[in-house]
Amino acid sequence: MRLHDVVIHEGDAEKINAVLTTFLGESGATEALLIDRSGQLLAATGANRALDTVSISALAAGAFSSTGALAQLLGETEFTVLFHQGNKESMHVSTVDDQAILLAIFGERTTVGMVRLFAKEAATAIGQILSEARAKPRSMGDLSTPLTADESRTTFGEPTKL
Amino acid sequence: MAIINYAQKVINFKVVYYGPGVAGKTANLQHIHKSLPDGSKGSMISLAAGDDRTLFFDFLPLSALTVRGFTAKFQLYTVPGQVYYNMTRKLVLRGADGMVFVADSQWDRLRDNVESFRNLEENLREYNTSLDEMPYVIQYNKRDLENIAPLDYMEFLLNRRARRVPSFEAVAVNGDGVFDTLNTVSRMVLVGEFGQEKGEHRETA
Repeated sequence: MRLHDVVIHEGDAEKINAVLTTFLGESGATEALLIDRSGQLLAATGANRALDTVSISALAAGAFSSTGALAQLLGETEFTVLFHQGNKESMHVSTVDDQAILLAIFGERTTVGMVRLFAKEAATAIGQILSEARAKPRSMGDLSTPLTADESRTTFGEPTKL
Repeated sequence: MAIINYAQKVINFKVVYYGPGVAGKTANLQHIHKSLPDGSKGSMISLAAGDDRTLFFDFLPLSALTVRGFTAKFQLYTVPGQVYYNMTRKLVLRGADGMVFVADSQWDRLRDNVESFRNLEENLREYNTSLDEMPYVIQYNKRDLENIAPLDYMEFLLNRRARRVPSFEAVAVNGDGVFDTLNTVSRMVLVGEFGQEKGEHRETA
């Protein structure tokens, strides 16, 4: 395990989910995704529909990092909010800290202003949880000992020859 | 940068396929996507320009391995190979846990390979990391073509760092060498993350 890994313990996951649930209740958004800036999903809460959250995370992180690069071309540090408006559903992405972003999907029963307001509050709370999580000693339990030869030999198997 | 989620019992790794334009990075992902069963892969996303060249990245999430009760998921990305897309290429590198350098074996692309490899080293420096810390393998692609450089010479050009890494000959469009490359880099990423018991053979010779 390396120093710059992101480790989310069960207690941290519960706290993050509680903040995301409160955020959904207050803002009227339908889904909230906490995404690492490298494109990986950290936590998700919301309406129980079959969204491809893995792809959404990769694309949203890509779009957000791309707007960040645009900001730098203008001499800004970054654009802290990215907003996509659709006919029925819209998407709001905002900064949590230098490693994570918060994505909210919302429909017609709320407004971008409400989402923006409560996303800011949620981001502050989640930033605090993530920063405390990073400061904790990383007791690793099952993952604390090196892999055996068998464990490190796991592969994607022999695919069907086409 | 692995993401270890104890609540979901999931470990996420990011592996980036790097290399010059039209070397076959996307072809690698396409072959993996069509070969694996639905249960161990997600949707493949390609952000390509009109001429099928990758504009931003290709993305393919895989999940197949279980390590001590955790599901290890590998997210595969490609970068755009064209020289002028360096800003987007750099963005895709963020948080990578492992790399595959896909080289084009044709004589007239050797310089492009070397330049792309140098560009990779430069871009990693901007993230305060380097190939010394990163598990990676090299794939010599397009070995079925006629105007290709011998393997020894390609090794001399590209696999010349203090740590020699595993390398593979491939014809990615047919799938040859694609899974050897993927399985080796994913094992190296796992061993790099958690270590391996002493006395065992290490993939990173």
